Amino acid sequence: MKISIGEKIVTYFVLSLFAAFALIPLLGVVLTAVTPGSSSSGFRIPESIDLGNFAEAWDRGHFATYMLSSIVVTITVVVVTTVLSVMAGFAFARLKFFGSNIVFYVILAGLLLPAEAFIIPLYYNLRSAHITDTYWALILPQIAQSLAFGIFWMRNQFMSFPGEVIEAARLDGATDLRTLWQIVVPPSTPSIMTMCLLISMWTWNEFLIPLVMVTKDSLRTAPLGLAFFQGQHSTDYALLAAAGIIIAAPIVILYFFLQRRFISGMLGGISSR
Amino acid sequence: MSKKISIWTGTVAVAVALSLSACAPGGTSAPAAESGPVSDDVAGAGDVTLTVWDQNTDEGIDEAQEALNAAFTEKYPNVTIDRVTQSFADLKTTLKLALSGDNAPDVIQANQGYPDMGAFVEGGLIRSLDDYDEIYDWTSYYPESLLKINSFSADGTEWQGDNLFGVSQTGEVVGIYYNKKILADLGVDAPTSLDEFESGMEAAKAAGILPMAYGDIEKSPGIHLFGVVQAAIAGADTVNALVTGQDGAWTDEVSVEAAATIQDWATKGYIPEGANGVSRDDALAQFQAGESAFYIVGTWKQAAIAESLGADAGFTTLIPEGEETPVTTGGEGLAWAVTTGSENPDVAAAYVAFINDEASAQTFIDENSLPSVIPSDFTPEEGLEADVFDTYGAVTESGGLVPYLDYATPTFYDTLTSAVQQLTDNQVTPEEFTEILQQDYSSFIESK
Amino acid sequence: MTVSTRARSSEARKAGTVVNRARRRRVESFKAFLYVAPALAFALTFLIVPTFQTAWYSLFDWNGLSAATWAGVQNYVDIVQDKELRDSFLHVGVLVIFYAFVPIAIALLLTMVISRAHALRGMSFFRTVLFLPQVIASVVVATTWLSIYSPNGLLNTALRAIGLDSLTRVWLGDFTTALVSVGFVGTWLNVGLCLVLFLSGVGNVQPELFEAARLDGANSFQEFFGITLPALRGQITVALTLTVVSSLKTFDLVYITTRGGPGNSTSVPAYEAYSRAFNSGQVGSAASVAIVLTLGILLITALIGRLQPKDSE
Repeated sequence: MKISIGEKIVTYFVLSLFAAFALIPLLGVVLTAVTPGSSSSGFRIPESIDLGNFAEAWDRGHFATYMLSSIVVTITVVVVTTVLSVMAGFAFARLKFFGSNIVFYVILAGLLLPAEAFIIPLYYNLRSAHITDTYWALILPQIAQSLAFGIFWMRNQFMSFPGEVIEAARLDGATDLRTLWQIVVPPSTPSIMTMCLLISMWTWNEFLIPLVMVTKDSLRTAPLGLAFFQGQHSTDYALLAAAGIIIAAPIVILYFFLQRRFISGMLGGISSR
Repeated sequence: MSKKISIWTGTVAVAVALSLSACAPGGTSAPAAESGPVSDDVAGAGDVTLTVWDQNTDEGIDEAQEALNAAFTEKYPNVTIDRVTQSFADLKTTLKLALSGDNAPDVIQANQGYPDMGAFVEGGLIRSLDDYDEIYDWTSYYPESLLKINSFSADGTEWQGDNLFGVSQTGEVVGIYYNKKILADLGVDAPTSLDEFESGMEAAKAAGILPMAYGDIEKSPGIHLFGVVQAAIAGADTVNALVTGQDGAWTDEVSVEAAATIQDWATKGYIPEGANGVSRDDALAQFQAGESAFYIVGTWKQAAIAESLGADAGFTTLIPEGEETPVTTGGEGLAWAVTTGSENPDVAAAYVAFINDEASAQTFIDENSLPSVIPSDFTPEEGLEADVFDTYGAVTESGGLVPYLDYATPTFYDTLTSAVQQLTDNQVTPEEFTEILQQDYSSFIESK
Repeated sequence: MTVSTRARSSEARKAGTVVNRARRRRVESFKAFLYVAPALAFALTFLIVPTFQTAWYSLFDWNGLSAATWAGVQNYVDIVQDKELRDSFLHVGVLVIFYAFVPIAIALLLTMVISRAHALRGMSFFRTVLFLPQVIASVVVATTWLSIYSPNGLLNTALRAIGLDSLTRVWLGDFTTALVSVGFVGTWLNVGLCLVLFLSGVGNVQPELFEAARLDGANSFQEFFGITLPALRGQITVALTLTVVSSLKTFDLVYITTRGGPGNSTSVPAYEAYSRAFNSGQVGSAASVAIVLTLGILLITALIGRLQPKDSE
């Protein structure tokens, strides 16, 4: 299909315009973060690059602790969610059992429920169980939330998996479990990885749950740490910019390497949050 | 299939309903305060870690706190202090959750009045200090008025009741800091009345100088602005009766007049436009840089202002018409309290006593800050220190200190702060402003 | 989808094996149930039951610390009567416009113009950049825009640089501009997303349709409304769902940038629920706001789902 030069120019122009629109605020952050000098001098293009803000933000903001928290929580949530989603998704897609429809809808409800719907009583419940102010209070609710997406995703994947291969394995005498892990999962790794990426992103970026569940400084996750850091240095924009870059960096870096997965995953998960 | 669905939903619903009815919310049994004997034996308590939550982030006060902590651990090497410090707003948000959780801190700073301290007492989260008072004798050290502010009835429903729940390190007066150099250039004296203050600002504006530095994005400076103006118009008795819920209405003439005055200043540009989007740190920075003539804030900023403006800094308060001594908002810093969840109440109480005693007062003075009880033999240095200390002495003696307005009801902090933002931005008339306040206030009074 | 389909020929075996088959089916069913049991447990314990509890809490007056008192539906009545609460729902409606309708409209318009962009080289670069805002933590987005909107931030500095000094203001502190400023962040967040979505959707349309339309003499408008728009119905539904639901749930942005201020001009239901529950000790009221918000989200999601074309998932 031939596209005229005129149309190409217009297209590139429009795309560039909106790409710039998306990038300018982020470039602003980067510039602000490397601007040396006093805090309340406003925005300007820096004459020299000063990376000191990053070190200062890291130290004063205890971000080492916060990043560690985020890593612990994210990895645990992703691992548990993946295992449970693969199993449950397979069951919904390929196994028959009593009440499967209802159970599916119950789990799916988790996709539609905003955190506000359950966080208030959940806080008091977990407090009675003495697990607020522990990593569990961050990990367990987020597993529950991520499972909704994960199961929905894996069920879709497994439903479109060629049925003959599964049948062949069964006829060969493989148990369901073996069929799942040795036959079905290996080729599905790409889509499982997409799921892991998305859940990592959502868990890493989560703010409300840590805000409510955790008061100890050592357990705060990175976004929460940034929020309190901002409360204490509300006008030191250079420092805040540096801190923001530190927090966002892990996911953004992952994104640059794997953008196709991110994009197709987010757009493909139709009723995802 | 649909029959099965309905059976399932029915079972689930019943199960849920049953489990719910068993747990009506609230009434979590608060740990009863230990009624055993109390002691001041810290050294013999073994290795103890005290978790302390405070909001002493202001310059000078922060250094004093660190010095006191170091002195305490030097005296008692078996004690380690785990200090968690946050901004005032953040502490307000996080303290409620922290106190009712499992790892509650041992010692906290609680904001007085119904919203915070009252709620804590009602929820059984902080303990009465009456039994420790027998050892540390705060009732002799502090003036009655300061003790009352930190007291509640045992169930937390009546503020200024009979039980002492905390003691405070710093004294606080909210007043008007002024730049002596600018005022001298304008040929204006330090204002001691509302009229003089207004003409001072008028002169500044005419000369192209920012009359008042003011930034209200954090919302709390609005309390001070309104408090100072209202006190200067209404006088101590009226405001006191209002805040303590004894008499009066926010819609009375004096409060409407205060609101109208403030809105008038906003219209005339004495209060900078767009102040609701400016941070109070930025406003302070403006004043410190010598860009504005006046700045309304409390004495907790004494150190910061002294350091930047030095000899050019002055502090004043307003005398209501027909009276002889100033009336303004103030009292004391946040109260240091011991939580009921603390496992070492004796050590905690000893710590509280240590950081609030006579020696600590000198530590604060050394850091250019105002202690709650000024040592009787102390002479302040001429200049800002004298202004602040003498004013504090004068108003405490003459009973010219009225409580912070946000103490009035459990929700008054939110109501008042957002109302002032609307007032300064001309979103409401002065009458509407006072009606917003009165609505919150009257529903609280009715519910008591 | 069956577990075992062994055919039995003999009638005699049938009688005895019906019971066997039924039992085996129950055993298989139970084993399969075990696959989903943990997930179900998670969902019930941490999501479903607490949601019912929220509804329960909403019928009480509770400060979170002491005992609760029964309030019946008073909290819900308050949502209608109390100006603060009413306004928070109005505000989120405004946000929905900026988060959802504006980006979708812009993206549709652009798709009309550049409908064959997907075929161009470098498209994956543009896709990456356009989608980038979606990946950044909301707290970082909030602090970024806090800085941009600050009195001497990027926006005001840029306005001054091009001589539009009169337009500068304290964006987040001004009653008239605060909500719109927050909304605009949503537009920034979602425009790229919608554009990527629609361009890829258009890419799925067979070129012959466009060729045929051109031959018939259709102009851009007719092409758009006749071919592109219907073809994008699925994508529009996805876009609407993602953007509308995320805007209704706005919390992080408001918390970091304005805390609902100035006054109450940027308060939204999610923020009100949090603030009332954990700050001002009005848990029952907070719960009622949360319930109304949740029901609203469910309702709107269902309505949007109606738009979906029947043949796709």
